[in-house]
Amino acid sequence: MSGRRTRVLVTGIGLVTPLGADAPSSWAAVCAGRSGIGPIRRFDASGFPVRIGAHAPDVEAAPLAPRARKYAARQHVFAAVAAAEALRDARVVPGSADTERWGCVVGSGMLGVEFAELAALQRRAAPAGVLEVERLEPTADPVAFARHQSIGGLALLVQQFGIRGPVSAVHTACASGGQAIGAALRLIRRGAADRVLAGGFDSMLTPVGLAGFCLLGALSPDNDEPARASRPFDRTRNGFVLGEGAGFLVLESAPAAAARGARAYAELAGAGDALSSYRITDPHPDGNGPIQAMRRALADADIAPEAVDYINAHGTSTVMNDRSEAAAIRAVFGSHCERLLVSSTKSLMGHLIAAAGAVEAALCALALRYGVAPVNANLTTRDPECDVPLVVGASQRRPLQVALSNSFGFGGANNAVVLRRAPDEEPGG
Amino acid sequence: MTARVAIVGSGAICGLGREPDAIWEAVRRGESAIARIRQWDSRAWVHGHAAEVDGCDAAELVGDRKLLKLLRRTHVFGFYAGMRALEQAGFVKERVPLWPAAIADYNDRSGIYVGVSGSAYQDQYEFLPLMARSDGEIGLFGAELARAVSPMWLLQTLPNNVLCHLGIRTGFSGPHACVVAHSTAGVLAVAEALDALRTGEVDRALAVAHVAPIEPQALQGYATLGLLGRDVVRPFDARGDGCLFGEGAAALALEPVDRAAARGASSLGEVLGSGAVSEGGALFAVDPGGEGLARAIELALADARCAPGDVGVIVAHGNGTRTSDRSEAAALQRVFGAAIPPVTAFKWATGHLFPAAALLDVILALAALRTGEVPGIATLREVDPACAPLPLSADPQRPRGELALVLSRGFAGANAALVVRAAR
Repeated sequence: MSGRRTRVLVTGIGLVTPLGADAPSSWAAVCAGRSGIGPIRRFDASGFPVRIGAHAPDVEAAPLAPRARKYAARQHVFAAVAAAEALRDARVVPGSADTERWGCVVGSGMLGVEFAELAALQRRAAPAGVLEVERLEPTADPVAFARHQSIGGLALLVQQFGIRGPVSAVHTACASGGQAIGAALRLIRRGAADRVLAGGFDSMLTPVGLAGFCLLGALSPDNDEPARASRPFDRTRNGFVLGEGAGFLVLESAPAAAARGARAYAELAGAGDALSSYRITDPHPDGNGPIQAMRRALADADIAPEAVDYINAHGTSTVMNDRSEAAAIRAVFGSHCERLLVSSTKSLMGHLIAAAGAVEAALCALALRYGVAPVNANLTTRDPECDVPLVVGASQRRPLQVALSNSFGFGGANNAVVLRRAPDEEPGG
Repeated sequence: MTARVAIVGSGAICGLGREPDAIWEAVRRGESAIARIRQWDSRAWVHGHAAEVDGCDAAELVGDRKLLKLLRRTHVFGFYAGMRALEQAGFVKERVPLWPAAIADYNDRSGIYVGVSGSAYQDQYEFLPLMARSDGEIGLFGAELARAVSPMWLLQTLPNNVLCHLGIRTGFSGPHACVVAHSTAGVLAVAEALDALRTGEVDRALAVAHVAPIEPQALQGYATLGLLGRDVVRPFDARGDGCLFGEGAAALALEPVDRAAARGASSLGEVLGSGAVSEGGALFAVDPGGEGLARAIELALADARCAPGDVGVIVAHGNGTRTSDRSEAAALQRVFGAAIPPVTAFKWATGHLFPAAALLDVILALAALRTGEVPGIATLREVDPACAPLPLSADPQRPRGELALVLSRGFAGANAALVVRAAR
């Protein structure tokens, strides 16, 4: 079956992460093992139990037309910058002849209303803490209303880049970005598009976003040691660090890429999704869900587990996730585990939530292209119950042929994507 | 050869009822659920009408009091409609006699595909009491957090909540998606399910879309954009003054035709094809020529391997706003020329159910094909001259053939279409 199927290539990458305002700087920091985690500085977090996070740089909305900028929330600006970089990197943009053959799929976040707006609403219309409808402003601000729309980010991209084929946005919490990449892959395979701008963006490093994760007790409280706070698979890990940013890929059918002589970072070989159907917060301790997602992605890619060289783990640095994920990796890869390299780049850039899966798929493509397995930072004592071979100390140079990226979300959605190094004889290598 | 996909179950809830049959009968009788909004005192609101689900006993709909603590109103609708469709399909029942390994395989081969429009303003209102108490003092806000807001707040507001809880209730663990894309999300969820069934990724799938948009700030936003009418939705009517909200959910249980036949499942019809595109314009822009909608229809027809002449009835998006209705008429003329089959629309009765609208329309379209009666647009008085070429009527019409085309349009220039056939 896979023999007849259209192959899909990654021909462009764009990133805005806590490690850099573009893909080269983010990748360089990953290779160097530099942390992007520090004190929260965009608002006064002094009263919160958690006061650290991974801010992305304050990038300019330059890729958006000036009249569109007022409609862009912070995460939309990240998206526009990363998407523009991916297109520039791929050296292709939707042109007048092929806009209908371009698609766009994004994994987008959940909160549209900014804290300041909520505070203004409270002062005006909820003085006692409960909305009094008759106190609302008589009319809404249409620009703010546009910014609040969950589909607002997708709309900005579609308009800016003139994409007129299939467009969609997905949300499965922390699996959103990975599932967007998978949905884009399927669009190309079924012939609905030749090229898809696919990625994720999010910014929950806001008072309400931080509050939500604090309430769940999901975040590391290591306020005094921000750079050490995210330590996936370490015995002393105690939660994740909230990050923000965006990652975009230009995905292209192999014939479309060949026709214009495009170079490829990697082939997006397969994707797999599975529901844990266990509990809303907790992963299954045996790794159920992640196991099926990885197996499905490998089968979809027609790649044997033994061919996998590197896994970019979901690796949030919570006790539950990392154990469940390690168990899942062991179940899927068995004795091949010893020859795998596993790391969680969340150790450096924190958790980008709806953007995480897309950013980490991009990092896998870069890892394959440059032959570097990123470090799993901050690992001093491995949790004996996380028995997987981690990239410890520093990023490792090693030729890599196949990489797999895991993304697991609250609500039990699990995703894995598999990438294969583009053969050197492919146009541009 | 790709698998043909049967519709083996349906579920729906909206202002007109909580069963597909009851909703169909109400539409046939020309009943509308649109009335003055009762969720708050809306008497002073110019655009204060909507089609609310009344007497919604959430515990009864969900059948699990403990689960209710994790669900918001929209999730209750989605969970309920999804379970109803699964029950009608016999999906859960057919698993009972299986042995454990076969059950695990069954669950792995069962997919859930959800469409939602987006987050609600009310999702964040739980912070208002704390904000009032901390009086703009963000340090205090952070410090008092744990005492003031439910630890489950984030999980209650997850857009993928229905996917999660349907998964937990059914044990289904297969491929899935949660599309968050305003009004076309329901059709996009069906398209994902269709793809998974056709490629053999799953043996059965549930597509469900849900919405509870009736809240003051959302209403104000739409009103400010000039999209809302006063008290009646009049699709394609010269006096139409805008759309009104509805709430509820709709769900379709899907299975390859041969598999359904092999287990003797009764089929409501088939999903033959889907198409979806963007017009590539601004968030709220609509191409006056219906360019995107025409392309979506053509893609859906091509996917269904059929021609415009095969379409027996069109369930239009027909949201009652002039720009959308006129551009929809233009799109239909573009695709069907002078031979447009009977056109109807149901938002005059149900209000706009955003992502769930098109799935509810599919259920009603199947009933129309089955009974040979296309319900009229009961609020239609005088057809907008710009929509005159459409075969519209306030009275029932007869389908011209055995396929129905269902249209869906939303923000971000999104246009989508589904082609379905009713079981003979």
